[in-house]
Amino acid sequence: MNCHGDAAAQVKPGNNKMKILLMGNPNVGKSVVFSKLTGVHVDSSNYTGTTVDYTIGDINFGKQQGVMIDVPGTYSLEATSEAEKVAVALLEEGADVVICVLDATHLERNLGLAFELKEYPIPIIYCLNLMDVAERQGIKIDAEKLAEELGSPVIPTVAIKNQGLRELMQTAVKLSKERKDSEPKLDEEEKWNRIKEIVSKVQAQVDKELTFIEKLEDWTIQPWPGIPIAILVLIASLGVVVGGGKALRAVVLLPLVKQVIVPFLTKIISLVIPAGIFRNVLVGEFGILVIGIEWPFALILPYVFLFYVVFSFLEDSGYLPRIGVLADGVLRRIGIQGGNIIPMMLGYGCAVPAILGTRAANTNKERIMVAALVSFAVPCASQSGAFFALLGDKSIFALIFVYLLSILAMLAVGVILDRIIPGKSQPMLLEVPNLLLPDKDAYKKKLKLRMKHFMMDAEGAMFIGIIVAAIIAETGILNEFSKLLGPFVEGWLGLPKEASLSLLLGIIRRELAVLPMLEMNLNTLQLTVGAIVALFYLPCLSVFGVLTKEFSLKTALFIALITIVSAFLFGGLFNQVGRLILGLMG
Amino acid sequence: MPLAHGEKLSTYRIQALPSSHLLKVLGFRKGTQFTIQSKQPFKGPIVVKVGNRSIAIDYDIANEILVEEVVQN
Ligand SMILES: Nc1nc2c(ncn2[C@@H]2O[C@H](COP(=O)(O)OP(=O)(O)O)[C@@H](O)[C@H]2O)c(=O)[nH]1
Repeated sequence: MNCHGDAAAQVKPGNNKMKILLMGNPNVGKSVVFSKLTGVHVDSSNYTGTTVDYTIGDINFGKQQGVMIDVPGTYSLEATSEAEKVAVALLEEGADVVICVLDATHLERNLGLAFELKEYPIPIIYCLNLMDVAERQGIKIDAEKLAEELGSPVIPTVAIKNQGLRELMQTAVKLSKERKDSEPKLDEEEKWNRIKEIVSKVQAQVDKELTFIEKLEDWTIQPWPGIPIAILVLIASLGVVVGGGKALRAVVLLPLVKQVIVPFLTKIISLVIPAGIFRNVLVGEFGILVIGIEWPFALILPYVFLFYVVFSFLEDSGYLPRIGVLADGVLRRIGIQGGNIIPMMLGYGCAVPAILGTRAANTNKERIMVAALVSFAVPCASQSGAFFALLGDKSIFALIFVYLLSILAMLAVGVILDRIIPGKSQPMLLEVPNLLLPDKDAYKKKLKLRMKHFMMDAEGAMFIGIIVAAIIAETGILNEFSKLLGPFVEGWLGLPKEASLSLLLGIIRRELAVLPMLEMNLNTLQLTVGAIVALFYLPCLSVFGVLTKEFSLKTALFIALITIVSAFLFGGLFNQVGRLILGLMG
Repeated sequence: MPLAHGEKLSTYRIQALPSSHLLKVLGFRKGTQFTIQSKQPFKGPIVVKVGNRSIAIDYDIANEILVEEVVQN
């Protein structure tokens, strides 16, 4: 996410490049409309001085060129939240036309924002979206009458099926050439009475039998059967990521890397560079090009990719907030609101977007708590990939144990942090979105953006880590370092002294704390100890950077300190106790 | 009676509510009618159905919203 907050300001209204603001309540299908109407050139930016991001894309419609800005979704324009402040600021910068997306299934509430927009001197066009869902629910809306009442065009659409979007753009282009005066502000009472009146005129509800989706919507929000369903969904997701990742790795990626790419590189390098230390550093058994391709692409990438495939699907289907509702009672015991389970789940993919995700309307206390928990005990997809590679084949129990431990640790740390961090959590008050099949285009764009970020942030850092590893291994620095840490690593943790390499590299990337152990021939106890240390150990450099940026250097250092201390404490304790037990038995 | 004491599937009308921006924009005003859709264990949120939408309300907030039951026939 780059910080060119004034990208929106560069396009002034009035010149021949049209500027469209896309606005609406949260969850009305705005991003789908956006991804259908904009081209390939899409970027997300941070609005200067706030924590809110918005997306901007180019449009080419006939001869008309311009940009469209996906304004953060808001319920009103009273500037009481960061998102609302950004929405107001973008409106005040001016635009040629506003497209206001309305959710046809929740017309009354959506009209609140629609009325507030009329106070600005910008032509408005209403996009009455989710018409298919409304129909399914037996809601009938007379769009023409609604347009009459609102004094602006209303276009019914089904964004995911591309229905009505052409007409929407045509009307928007036409409207952008017109001028509109601002209308006087209505007071609250007046406004809602007027809205009630409009809704009763334009909307009719016919009774319909509950469809399967509506039943599912109801079930997933009841403790029974909602909680069992949630557990099943999580197990199925895990199955897809772990099973699918393993299959991808074994069937496609490992053979590709080991039998095609690496031999090919080795051949080329051997032609150019004579045998010797330099060639070894590049394509030896642990050469930069060998490990540098095998680890990131064959061991890590499949899990990260599948994690985002599953997570983005759950996110776009409207299911995740339901898990938040079900989990709220328990999470509030550790001082955070249920909705935070979403960034925490995202943390199983990568801690960086998870920490950025805590920006959404939480109190500062909750933000720090979630960020700390994610950094502390949630293994990211890269690290999980490394765990699967390390423990998956040797001891499935150790693998399960590590994940259970991570959950227990989160609860324990949550209780402690709740005591020491001042402040309150924000109580839950949220509209549970409808369950919907995600839209293909919007889904693909999201997945692409996430993979792009992963490639840029992670693969680069990992490659650097591997180069550093090769250098310290080849130059003998590692030996010095091992001598220094050796007694501690061997005595307290019971690991071979080369494992200090893991500790050194783990600072750069989380999975690098695990992967070197693959080559060490460890027994099950050692493997588990290694995994425990890696689990709690420092979050990677990028996480450290985000923590510093989002909170402060002090917070980042504090989190780094507790993670290192607990990594050695728990890892060591487990080793000592494990030995004692093994000793007694054997 | 506070909304938090309401029962699943019963319908209520709001008599008094704390002044909160978010409650207001979510459509909760004096006189708003809704049905309780679900209650969660451990004093988790109460999910109510207003019209076609489900809204989850924190237990403590639900304690501050006073409602009367609407008897349906
Ligand atoms: N059935 C149906 N689903 C839609 C329609 N428009 C959007 N959606 C879905 O509604 C959900 C929320 O859309 P999204 O664009 O993420 O909402 P935003 O928060 O307003 O950006 C997604 O799962 C979309 O696939 C529509 O017209 N019909």
